[in-house]
Amino acid sequence: MKYVDEFRNAGLGKALSAQVVAIVEPGRHYKIMEVCGGHTHTIYKYGVDDLLPANVELVHGPGCPVCVIPMGRVDDAIAVARRPEVIFTCFGDMLRVPGSAGTLLEAKAGGADVRMVYSPLDALRIARQNPDRDVVFFAIGFETTAPSTALTLMRARAEGIANFFCFCNHVTIVPPLRALLESPDLRLDGFVGPGHVSTVVGARPFEFIPKDYGKPVVISGFEPLDVLQSVYMILQQLAEGRCEVENQYTRVVPYDGNPKALQAVGEVFELRPHFEWRGLGFISQSGLRLSPAYRDLDAELRYPVPGLRVADPKACQCGEVLKGVIKPWECKVFGTACTPERPIGTCMVSSEGACAAYYNYGRFARERELV
Amino acid sequence: MRVIRLGDDGVAICVNPDDQVSEVEIGLVDHVLPGDALLVHAGVAIARLGEARPA
Repeated sequence: MKYVDEFRNAGLGKALSAQVVAIVEPGRHYKIMEVCGGHTHTIYKYGVDDLLPANVELVHGPGCPVCVIPMGRVDDAIAVARRPEVIFTCFGDMLRVPGSAGTLLEAKAGGADVRMVYSPLDALRIARQNPDRDVVFFAIGFETTAPSTALTLMRARAEGIANFFCFCNHVTIVPPLRALLESPDLRLDGFVGPGHVSTVVGARPFEFIPKDYGKPVVISGFEPLDVLQSVYMILQQLAEGRCEVENQYTRVVPYDGNPKALQAVGEVFELRPHFEWRGLGFISQSGLRLSPAYRDLDAELRYPVPGLRVADPKACQCGEVLKGVIKPWECKVFGTACTPERPIGTCMVSSEGACAAYYNYGRFARERELV
Repeated sequence: MRVIRLGDDGVAICVNPDDQVSEVEIGLVDHVLPGDALLVHAGVAIARLGEARPA
């Protein structure tokens, strides 16, 4: 298939791998963060890290949308879902994310009307079919998914649908990246930039990384050769003493993003003063809420929610994993108390989570063998 | 996803690599035509793959 097969070509991968080996300085250790959970998934599904020399380390970033939702927000969602007048809709991954007293799936088992959807437009369809019930959509995701929610809310408004509401947990990628760059815990040499977020926001928002922090950024596609080539491009910048934002994913990402999507997001949402991220704490202007023009569709204003900050279970180290401070297999409960079947932390729930990627593609076994 | 045909009211009928057919909202991408490959997130197209097409 065009745009897929050529980016999974084993021969090209081996040739690119040889180029990577040739460009690195022996004795120097490189730490490169892939921001997006989709990249983490690709790296472990296809074994991209096996094609890199030992001194090039890939570090996983905070770009999995399910992983960054804190427990308190799950509790808020469950409180809304348990209301008898509510049909609560969300993406499948969110059903299994633990709050302080269970998951949405358990709330459903206990009688709450919780339904899985693939799109906010599905939730709007449910609202049309159930005019006597309130339908709430649990909106999560970065700038990639926010346009979809925005378009749905615009459509609800245009059609005069009065029983559709949004519990908004959309987040933005730049503030956590800045927080990571300010963190003394982490020394990074460059970033594999988020390809699909950049489809919407473009490359410009990442220019602060080379400008203010002297680190290269290469916006990358999601096929294995995309990621490998992006790592090579970062190493090439470092070897040549350059530091800039480059776009490897030119077949999809325009430098200025998608103006129509940005316009929709700008109309429907506004920045929150601060938002809590799992493991990263409160980060200023990193979350979205409904703008004044759409506030009557805001589930947080329609229903009382606990709004409490809940600490992660002590054994769970999702925070350190999300910051790239530890590898998933270094977490105390990885693969024992915390598995994809019975996750404790969010990183083990979503397929984009680093822990689930390690576990599902056999890295757990491999790391144990290496130890 | 590949566009099979354009539907009514800003949607396109698309097929994914697993041959599953679904309706995709195309309001955020200009000048979508049958045969185009779209990047779709949560039921909404956010980009067309390949070279930009002139308006």
